[in-house]
Amino acid sequence: MRFFTATVLGLLAPSLAAASSFTAPTQLAVPADFKPPQVFKNVNLVRNTNLEKGYVRETINVVVENVDKQPQSDYYIPFPSDVFGRVGGFEVRDKKATENGRFEVEVTEPVVSTGNQYFVVHLAEPLAPKAQITLGISYSVLSALSPRPATIGQSDKQYLTYSFSAYVPSAYQTVTQKTKLKFPSTDVPDFTETSGLKSGADPERKGATYTYGPYETTQVAPGTEQPITVRYQFTNPVISISLLERDLEVSHWGGNLATEERYWLRNNASQLTNQFSRVEWTFASYQKAPSSAVREIAYPLQPGSVDPYFIDDIGNVSTSRYRPGNGKTAANLELKPRYPIFGGWNYSFKVGWNNDLSGFLRRATGVDSYVLKVPFLQGPKMSEGVQYEHVVLRVVLPEGAHNVRFETVEGANSNGLPGMSQVNASLSTFKTYMDTLGRTTLTLEVDSLTDEARDAQLVVTYDHTFMDAFRKPLTIFGGLLTFFVAIWFLGSIDTSIKKR
Amino acid sequence: MSLNEVWEAASATPFHPIVSKDSQFAIGFNLLFVAVIASGLFGLNRSFLSLFTLGVPAALATGFGAVLMICAVGVYV
Repeated sequence: MRFFTATVLGLLAPSLAAASSFTAPTQLAVPADFKPPQVFKNVNLVRNTNLEKGYVRETINVVVENVDKQPQSDYYIPFPSDVFGRVGGFEVRDKKATENGRFEVEVTEPVVSTGNQYFVVHLAEPLAPKAQITLGISYSVLSALSPRPATIGQSDKQYLTYSFSAYVPSAYQTVTQKTKLKFPSTDVPDFTETSGLKSGADPERKGATYTYGPYETTQVAPGTEQPITVRYQFTNPVISISLLERDLEVSHWGGNLATEERYWLRNNASQLTNQFSRVEWTFASYQKAPSSAVREIAYPLQPGSVDPYFIDDIGNVSTSRYRPGNGKTAANLELKPRYPIFGGWNYSFKVGWNNDLSGFLRRATGVDSYVLKVPFLQGPKMSEGVQYEHVVLRVVLPEGAHNVRFETVEGANSNGLPGMSQVNASLSTFKTYMDTLGRTTLTLEVDSLTDEARDAQLVVTYDHTFMDAFRKPLTIFGGLLTFFVAIWFLGSIDTSIKKR
Repeated sequence: MSLNEVWEAASATPFHPIVSKDSQFAIGFNLLFVAVIASGLFGLNRSFLSLFTLGVPAALATGFGAVLMICAVGVYV
């Protein structure tokens, strides 16, 4: 069988002609004392910081003017090196033409002298001298919130702190700027009040929204910091997935799209001061009191999802409930972990389900060409948000699929993913049941994602010929026929003892 | 042409498997059943002629039957 596979089918194997989009993230080399050329000026900058979830979501709208004598197209956005790796879903658009899509973004190496690392935004068209453009910059910062106090009682309220600079870190001079903070509630016991930066109270408070600024910062050197710390109530878990492995297996023979996701979950909330009390927990559960522990994980699935399973390190977890929906409405998988996950506790588990392939795969107009459209990320839908430190998405295509190309769908709004240059894409083969050559596997690796990317879609095209489709049954046919021929041949040898 | 446009353009031709999920078990089981019978008959009469009349159909039925049966039991290959 192996001989047959190697000799006959090996010759028929198409090459996995990789498309040009297979890239590994690279960093631009910069000198140790690099400073971005001062060719832009931020005329007006408004930063919106959303603290309603377990991660920080920021959108910055900035009017940028070219103050150089030449057209300029590279806009630098600095982050401290230790924060840079935790910036997720970074995206920059022309605020007045969001439908034109995101600008291409590259990253630099860390700059030793300043401790900064830069995103380099390549504007679609160079900005003429004295011309202005409004940039919409959006990103999330993971693991930027720390609980204070770090340990609390089991039923206590939880408070998080967030520290930032009132002056938005920028590589360029900024004329006016302000920062709006949106808290999850009005319970904000501590916040820095500035003095001398502007006239009147700073911050201005309106419900759960606090506004620092506007500040006139023409005389302030770029990169100047004005530390602010806020502390606010967030009696919810801070769910962090240190690793998510998501596999999508396409089966032409089975007409099936199988999804499996393996999670390594950690709750970054306040840790327990005392030992866990089951009695207290049961009381709190009856009262539906808010808690910093993960009690249940709601997991919406697409209509038509079947055969769900929920397994952890011990085995099947029976405390899950699946509501299949009625074919049009989304299905819902409600998972209850084996134990409530308090701050500092870990839980690793896997979930999986099947879908009919016809909703995800179409025959493209070319001969033997297919186009697959699948969600990039599904994952739990929680009001407190979910952050993913590292995501590995594997799309296992049928055996023999070749000429693989992929892209993510971009709309008028952010899809929560970073640019494709920040995604590590590779092509390999994966051998499992009934495979002779191995299945073509597209692997995409992304760091620092949030559940904002739940709606992102991935489109993959590939070629799969008639011969590829029939490789499995024909291999078995060939093997068995060889066996029959061998039996016939051996049976027809005359081994009788007689006079010749 | 972006790949999403390729997807949109192919809206009229969704993929349908050769054998639908509902009939995988029935067809797979019957093919394997035929394969067992044909293999048995070939075993009883191992002539050059029966190699073609029984051996080839048995091998073909095993090939397709095994693939359909493994899909029917939930291992989608």
